[in-house]
Amino acid sequence: MTADRLQTYGPTAALLALAAVFAVLSPQFRTLGNLQNLLDAGAVLAVVTIGATYVLLLGCIDLSAAGVMGACALAVSLLVANSRTALDLGPLGVLLVVALGAAFGCLSGALSVGLKVPSFMTTLGVSAIGLGVATVLFAGVQPAVSDPWLLQWASGRWLGFTRVTYLAAAVVVLAWLVQRHTRLGRYATAIGGGEDILRLSGIQVGRYKVGAFTVAGACYGLAAAMVTAQLGSGIVQAGAGLSFAAITAAVVGGTQLAGGRGGIAHSMVGVLILTVLANGLVLIGVSPYVQRAVQGVIVVVAVGATLWPLRHRLEVVK
Amino acid sequence: MADAARVAGLRGRLAARVPERRHVVVTAMPVTAFLVLLAALAVASPALLETGSLLTLADSAAPLTVLAAGATVVVLCGGIDLSVAALASLASVLLASWVPALSGAAVPAVVAACAVAGAVQGLVHVAFRIPSFVVTLGGMTLWSAVALLASGAATVPMPDSTPTDWAFTRLGGLVPSAVLVALATVVALAALMRFTPLGRWVRAIGHAEPAARLAGLPIARVKVIAFALSGATAGLAGALLVARTFSGAPTLADSLLLPAVAAIVVGGTAITGGHGALWRTLVGAGIVTLLRVGLSYAGVDAAYESILYGVLIVGAVALTIDRSKLSIVK
Repeated sequence: MTADRLQTYGPTAALLALAAVFAVLSPQFRTLGNLQNLLDAGAVLAVVTIGATYVLLLGCIDLSAAGVMGACALAVSLLVANSRTALDLGPLGVLLVVALGAAFGCLSGALSVGLKVPSFMTTLGVSAIGLGVATVLFAGVQPAVSDPWLLQWASGRWLGFTRVTYLAAAVVVLAWLVQRHTRLGRYATAIGGGEDILRLSGIQVGRYKVGAFTVAGACYGLAAAMVTAQLGSGIVQAGAGLSFAAITAAVVGGTQLAGGRGGIAHSMVGVLILTVLANGLVLIGVSPYVQRAVQGVIVVVAVGATLWPLRHRLEVVK
Repeated sequence: MADAARVAGLRGRLAARVPERRHVVVTAMPVTAFLVLLAALAVASPALLETGSLLTLADSAAPLTVLAAGATVVVLCGGIDLSVAALASLASVLLASWVPALSGAAVPAVVAACAVAGAVQGLVHVAFRIPSFVVTLGGMTLWSAVALLASGAATVPMPDSTPTDWAFTRLGGLVPSAVLVALATVVALAALMRFTPLGRWVRAIGHAEPAARLAGLPIARVKVIAFALSGATAGLAGALLVARTFSGAPTLADSLLLPAVAAIVVGGTAITGGHGALWRTLVGAGIVTLLRVGLSYAGVDAAYESILYGVLIVGAVALTIDRSKLSIVK
């Protein structure tokens, strides 16, 4: 019971403690302007983490964000007004790219379910395919976005926050509602908890798994559009490192790697922890490379901590 | 009565033959694919079959082969090591910075350091029961961060290349030494697996870990050794790369992760563990290299290479995976 409560409230306590420590160490951390920076910086990670969370709830893993985002970033920068193609699709271009992301996600899910291949392998493959598609679309010339509507996402501010941040907040609320109140969300958690039981209850487990992967892909597509708006051009590395950061955020927030536990709310606490950590470490003058190292250690520690109470039940760990 | 017994016996023999047929397919396919690819390339460009160009081809496959060889042992245990490429990059940085102080001893020192790094990952994996791909994904981030820190995110030039010259020379003016290093690594690991109990233990753990546990095998120790071997070969692969670029760089080997995983699974080693062998990784590395060369011969843009690796990995895993072990696929 205590372990249970620790897993529910531990991440929030850790977030508050981190914020308190940085607020003491750095006067700059305490400013309102920094809060705006912080949320703006965490927006993309939040959307990617939402996608990763749906897959984690199943007990699967999705390493495809980097590749899918690369392909989608190039696609969106070529579909809206840009320096390379004559296309000017505007919002329709963004929608198409979200659909492209969903198609990649659907491919990962269908390969995992149809071929019965572990998801970390299929998503590693799909990530490579996405990076390849991105490199092909890149074709040696970086497309610069000139669509004012898309660029406004990152530059226009309402109440001090960029539109990207509002968009991320809206996606968080939507994803939370989907997780709580739709069959897709409820079954995703249930599949992670006990897939065999659901199968015996006559539920089409495969269909819902592919659905969750598809939602994840759509999130990566949207995140790629957000990154492209922030950078002003489409680059292959748009999602570099984000697969891993998203899994770290979700797990640190209390979404279990084994599936069935946690969810959007937990994962968002994890996103805030990672963002506060990154922001605070920069403000107290720590090298960004040290942050990367910290992230690598954190994910292992967080997974270890959540699995620790279960260690006697886990006879075989591969 | 006798008939019934004979029918039962026949059924039993038929049932026993099904996994054997799978075994034959998995054994024959990689070798056939390799030969077909070689033949196709030879038809497209007959000059390829000359000794010189074949040796150059083998030379370019050497670092990949070494990198994949150690990781194969981890896969045979049923785990995976996603950190090998990042560790090889770190090794290149360490080697380039240690050569001034250690000269000839720098290569063994780096290989030992990487073996320790691998062993640490193995220890974390078995002690905290964290899935190997999470530990090594964390390790991948950690090692590349350490490499960036140690190098200041820049290429580290080697002031004096003599300590690594042995790894990038042509013996008798013909045979690339890197090819011999790669072959020696594969043979040494294969011998370790063949002539010591380690090989049987690794396979037993990969096939059926609960049974291996009940049989009293030192599971934790075997897994840590497997990860240490994987780390050591990553270090050696890093050294081979330093020898040919005369410098270390924090992302030097990062692009080799996908080809290395592809080489292991395309060779026919099952990601579920137990089934597979080191010579398969040698064949797999050959297939990956021939495909890469073949693509450029066919005039396909290098950008498609990554797509190829993705398709290869998913396709090969789907063909070689042992589904009897997976009631639920996560």
